[in-house]
Amino acid sequence: MTRMTFQQATVAAIADEMRADRDVFVMGEDIGRFGGPLRSNAGLFEEFGAEGRVIDTPISEGTFVGVGVGAAMYGKRPVVDLMFLEFLALVMQQFLDAGAMHYYSGGTQRVPLVVRAKFGVGPFHGHAYDHHSWLMNMPGVKIVAPSNPDDAYALMRAAIRDDNPVLFLEHMALYHAGKAEVDDDTPLSLGKASIAREGTDLSIYASALMTKRALAAAKVLAEDGISAEVVDLRTISPLDEATILTSARKTGRALVLSEAIGRGSSSNDVAALLAEQAFGDLKAPIRRLAPPNIPTPFARELEREYLPSEDRIVSAAKDLMG
Amino acid sequence: MTKSNQTPQELYYLMVQTRTLDRVIGAHDGHWHGLEGEEATIAGIYHGLQKGDVIAPHYRGAVSAALAKGADLKTLMAGCLGRSTAYHKGRHRSDICGPPELGLIGLYAGSLGPPLGYAAGAALAAKLDGRDDIALGVFGDGTSSRGDCHEAMNMAAVLRLPMVFVCQNNQIAISTELSAGVAGSITARGASFGMPSAEVDGNDVIAVKNAMDEATARARRGDGPSLIECKSYRVAGHFYSDAEDYRDREEIERWRAKEPIARFRAYLIAEGIQTEEDLDRIDAALTEEVDTAFKMALEDPVPEAALLAPDDVYAEARP
Repeated sequence: MTRMTFQQATVAAIADEMRADRDVFVMGEDIGRFGGPLRSNAGLFEEFGAEGRVIDTPISEGTFVGVGVGAAMYGKRPVVDLMFLEFLALVMQQFLDAGAMHYYSGGTQRVPLVVRAKFGVGPFHGHAYDHHSWLMNMPGVKIVAPSNPDDAYALMRAAIRDDNPVLFLEHMALYHAGKAEVDDDTPLSLGKASIAREGTDLSIYASALMTKRALAAAKVLAEDGISAEVVDLRTISPLDEATILTSARKTGRALVLSEAIGRGSSSNDVAALLAEQAFGDLKAPIRRLAPPNIPTPFARELEREYLPSEDRIVSAAKDLMG
Repeated sequence: MTKSNQTPQELYYLMVQTRTLDRVIGAHDGHWHGLEGEEATIAGIYHGLQKGDVIAPHYRGAVSAALAKGADLKTLMAGCLGRSTAYHKGRHRSDICGPPELGLIGLYAGSLGPPLGYAAGAALAAKLDGRDDIALGVFGDGTSSRGDCHEAMNMAAVLRLPMVFVCQNNQIAISTELSAGVAGSITARGASFGMPSAEVDGNDVIAVKNAMDEATARARRGDGPSLIECKSYRVAGHFYSDAEDYRDREEIERWRAKEPIARFRAYLIAEGIQTEEDLDRIDAALTEEVDTAFKMALEDPVPEAALLAPDDVYAEARP
């Protein structure tokens, strides 16, 4: 047990995997001496640089993610830093190909690739776009979005050990936002949601920063006698359908949060799943809370208005309670 | 046959095999990307690679690349026909995507260019492992216009990867003539990334083979990537049922007269490397072999619904 920030936990997980397995290496723009934007690779160059396992690349996102795909096809376990999720558009073809490989090869080809991307509103104040939902329509790809340092550590280790291409999301508002206990013995595989807070009156579904806000909102709701259960999705693709459904069947009400704009958001899959398979157990219509269908705005005041806030989560939950 | 005659005979075999595939698969599938006119380029590129080498072939020649890496002819044919016995179990097309376990990086989602980056990744894996294996990134003159192609060359040169880029320049991209698709020279682009670059006569299999030997040896030594541009001509249509109303018949006939197999036959006979009878025997054996494999593949079962197997989209954790 050690206390770490989200950023420290993520880098510690990579370093631990690099020590355990020589096939793990990191690659990306400015991840060497510079240490990566927001210190996303801090210390790795000093420890592994001499072995050639920390590879700085030119500004060629499609190709360096492609190099990751090819290296993963032939024995390595690359961890590629895309810098920011805004650049996802530049590597869509690589995800499309890599995601198809296991199925299209008749099950012979494994692609153990992790692509890291920072995103989200917050202190970094830029590169905020949350585009991960594009990959929901891409077979064979996994999407992971931790909400706290302990999960960041365990999920990064699990992502590196997973034999599929994984997009690993690192929310910038969580990155340096305080330390928490990190248990480095927690065995974890991808695809499992967690119950971040137990409750009986409604279920709030969230990931990353939205989980943090949902937990804060749940405290406020508790003061008003409303018991909210917070389901932290952790893995967005594939969804942990069993945990999602069990919670809604228990509470009978569902509020689905999204940092991505509502249209085409991955959170809509959660709502669709509940509508199809838990409708009979619901006491109220499913409620979604997401930003409007606009590009992420810059000014703090607009950003605050744009994103589901603690207050709006509380108010939506109260509406649901009727 | 002496040792020095072995390579020319193998090259001849690969060339005729390539042409025979054309005749057999093309007759069955109007979407087959014909190879006529480019047999010397294809044989010269793919001959003599080692087991750990990885190829991202251009789609025109992908089946020959797989065969050169030891793939089974009948299984590949079954893959072209969508049979359950294929490497891909009928889930994908063997004509554009060979078995990765034999070192073939195919077109998975059909977009040209990105596989050159994947080949660079295979080259990086070999380098990190300290193996003397290399990767080939093969592309057409059309793909040379992709940013992915430029990025992959730059990346391979910067990282000094054991890789050979080969442009199969057949002077036309579907219907777009070279002059309308490529400004300047493809060979010069390689040079601009600081890598040794050579243009060779793609209809001269010995010239292609010699250039490849030099580039692959350089890559295996750890001296970095090279580019070879094989200048040839697509005598075939873009695909077999292509009406080809976009180009001049006379130009096609001029190039058909320069076809590489007849040229290499004449060379082998004149140099006393093979007799006409030897070569006829190779031709006849290949016809028999390819015809038989294709007939067997046709009789193979089509996939049952259970082979859709949606859960197979993810690789399960190894036990």
